[in-house]
This record gives sequence, C-alpha cells and structure tokens, in this order.
Amino acid sequence: MALYFGDLLPFSSLLLEGLWTALYITLVAMVAGSALGVFLYLGKVGPGKAVSIFCTCYIEAIRNTPLLVQLYLIYFALPALGINLEPIWAAVIGLTLNNAAYTAEIYRAGFESVPHGLREAGKALGMKNAQIVRYIVLLPATRNVFPALTNQLILLFLASSIGSIISLPELTNAIMSVSNTTYRTIEVLAVGGLLYLGVSALLSLASKRAETTLFRWAVGARV
Amino acid sequence: MTVIFVENLNKKFGPNHVLKGVDCHIREREVVCVIGPSGSGKSTFLRCMNGLESITSGSIVINKHRLDDSKTNINLVRQEAGMVFQHFNLFPHLKVIDNVMLAPLKVAKANKDEARAKAEMLLAKVGLAEKMEAFPGSLSGGQMQRVAIARALAMDPKIMLFDEPTSALDPEIVGEVLTVMKDLANEGMTMVVVTHEMGFAREVADRVLFMDQGLIVEEGSPDEIFSSPRNARTQGFLSKVL
Repeated sequence: MALYFGDLLPFSSLLLEGLWTALYITLVAMVAGSALGVFLYLGKVGPGKAVSIFCTCYIEAIRNTPLLVQLYLIYFALPALGINLEPIWAAVIGLTLNNAAYTAEIYRAGFESVPHGLREAGKALGMKNAQIVRYIVLLPATRNVFPALTNQLILLFLASSIGSIISLPELTNAIMSVSNTTYRTIEVLAVGGLLYLGVSALLSLASKRAETTLFRWAVGARV
Repeated sequence: MTVIFVENLNKKFGPNHVLKGVDCHIREREVVCVIGPSGSGKSTFLRCMNGLESITSGSIVINKHRLDDSKTNINLVRQEAGMVFQHFNLFPHLKVIDNVMLAPLKVAKANKDEARAKAEMLLAKVGLAEKMEAFPGSLSGGQMQRVAIARALAMDPKIMLFDEPTSALDPEIVGEVLTVMKDLANEGMTMVVVTHEMGFAREVADRVLFMDQGLIVEEGSPDEIFSSPRNARTQGFLSKVL
C-alpha cells in the first residue's frame, strides 16, 4: 500500500484547530490545576485534621483511578444530577481536577526534598517559621519542583487526547475524523503523532532552557 | 562570669536515653572543646543549648535565658548563640553576601547598608572578600564553612556553638577553618566546640570535656586530659585517636 499525504491537505486547518484546542485545554488545566494543587498540598500538610484527611483521600482517589473514568463521570454521570457540561468544559474540569492531585504530590516531594539542615540553619539564626519558609525553603523547593511540573505539563498535553472520547474536537478527535473521511489512517496518524511529538519536544526544550536560566545558583549546589 | 549553666540535662529520643544527666558551667570568653566517641551525645548536648533539640528534663540557662521555660523566646536565645554545622547548611539560592546578610535584615531588622558593610567586614575577616558575589555551590567545603562562620557572627552572638565544623572537610582544608576559629577564640569569643580535631582542642581549648554514653566522664585542661587522663574510658578513647 502506497502512502499518500496529499489527501490530508484539505484537512490541515481541521488538524491545526484540533491542536490549538488541545493546547488550550492543557494550558487552562495546567494553570488552574497547579493553583488548586497548592491548596491541596497546604491542606494535606496543614494543621486541620479533617481537611488533611479530605485532601489525602482526594489525591489518592484521583491518582488511583483512570483519567478516562474520571472524565466519564464528569461528562456522563453529572447530567444525571442535572449538571450538563459542554465537552470542552468537561475536559477542562476533568484535566484540572486530575492535574491538581498530581501537582499537590509534586509540591510535597519538592518541599520535603529541601535539606533539613537549611531549616535548622534558619532556626539557629533566630528566624521564625514563616520567615524560614519564605526566605530559605521556598526557592530551593521551587527549583526541586520545576522539572516535575514541566514534565506534568507534557503529560497533561498528551492526556488531553482523551477529550476525543467525549467528542471534543481536539487533535486526536480531528485525526480520527480525517481518517474516517479519507481512509488515509496511517498517514493522518503519522502527521498527528508528529504534531504531538513536536509540541512535546518544544515544551521539553523550553523548560530545560528556563530551568538553567531561572536557577543558575543551583549549579554545583546540593539541593 | 558564667554564661552557660547546664544542670542534670537529660534527653531521650523515644526509648533511647542519649543524655543522662549532664552538668556543665561555662564562663564568658571560655573555649570549651567536647570530645568523645560517636554516639556519646556530644552533638545532642550542643544542640540542646540553642533549642534545636528539646530538653527531656534538667535545665539550661544561656545568658540568663532559661531554655526549659516555655515563656522564653527561643529566637532571642538563638540570636545570642550562633551555630556552625558539620554540613555548613548555606542557603544555596543566595549569594555568599546575602547568606551573611539574611538574618541581620530579617531578624535584627538592620538597615541594609549597615548590614552589607558588616557582612563585607566579616567575609574579609574569614578571608573570602573576593567571593561575596559567588553562590555557595561554586565554593569549596572550607570556603563554605568560613561563610557559615561569618553568617553566624553577623548576628553578634555572645556565644558560638560549633557542631563538628571540620568533620565534612577534606584533610588539607581543615586548617583554613581552624585558623578562623582560632582567631575567634583569641578575640575572646565564648565557644563550645564539638570536635574530633585533637590538635585544635589541645592548642586552643581552655577546657576539654570528654563525653561517653551520655555523660561527661572527665573534664580538665587540655594538658590534664591529653597528657594524663585519669578515667579509663578517656584513656581508651585517646589511645585510639591520638
């Protein structure tokens, strides 16, 4: 079977729109989810026992169930409660709620991996706990969190493909509809795959760049 | 004048009884070296003196502050008793000068220009004036420890506590840190130094404490301890390390 990419040309704008939708829901879910993750993390490690248990249960429930099932719940089960969501909002909410649980764990790991000695040095200088967190722990923790967060961004972008099953016209959905129209399945999957790959590689490269410029102090440091 | 009173100090970590009734008085301007085998409680003893470890029972008074009194503001005690750690614990994201200036600015609420001038003076004193703008990650261990000493001195402490300050250093750079500590001792700083550097203890200490199994087993002048130790455990320890 000969490969022929020419049949795809008329659908290039459909594919690009799909890519744009995928990027859009990824970015919204990343910003909203990582912000929500801050509250989940603070709730988990904070003094309130009930809040801490709630946050822990939430994080574990999200991390131990498939994203697909979570999305089904939002899109197919919520209408039974009278809540009807457009596919794009169902996808954004699903990815946000999912991402929040993962970022909360990333924050926890990042803060815990700041050497305990730094806190002790702050204490020994007479600093209060809030000052220690703000001036001593926050930046090294951010440095620890950064690579995992950018990795999470890429995973989220790839996970956005799951929006296709709730008929959200994102990239995977566009790939499937072009395939069904042209029967050029291999060609369109190859092109679509390359689009995912290209964007992921760009994100990865940009985050490496950002890491070296933002955290120049970390060269040779034990953090 | 006695500035550190430790009486019947006990410290337990769960079932582990680490300090079993330590008594010790330290006078102003005195340099006391604490030696002993690992696990003898030396570091815990030192860390109790600025509240990094809580006290199980007994009492510690530092510059008239009672550490076993919950009303004591521990942060005030810590400003008066600086500490230097085995692993330096420099703040990796702050330049050397900012490491030294952080506590004066945030804790003592010092004016920025004054804090900077003082930090520059202290870094010059420990021989690191040219490293002010460097990040800690680019320094050698000996340089990091000297920055850590300058950082502790920036709060104008009346007492300096050293927790094995040279144990994490390569042998050839131990000397540069000990030199700074010697200068400090000669200036009259009250110092408590947990150390394995017997040469330093012998030369600089006014008094040497030998600890073993959670107790001060023997104490005396360096000459008494190193040349004619009376206790069998002191003799056994010194025969191994000297």
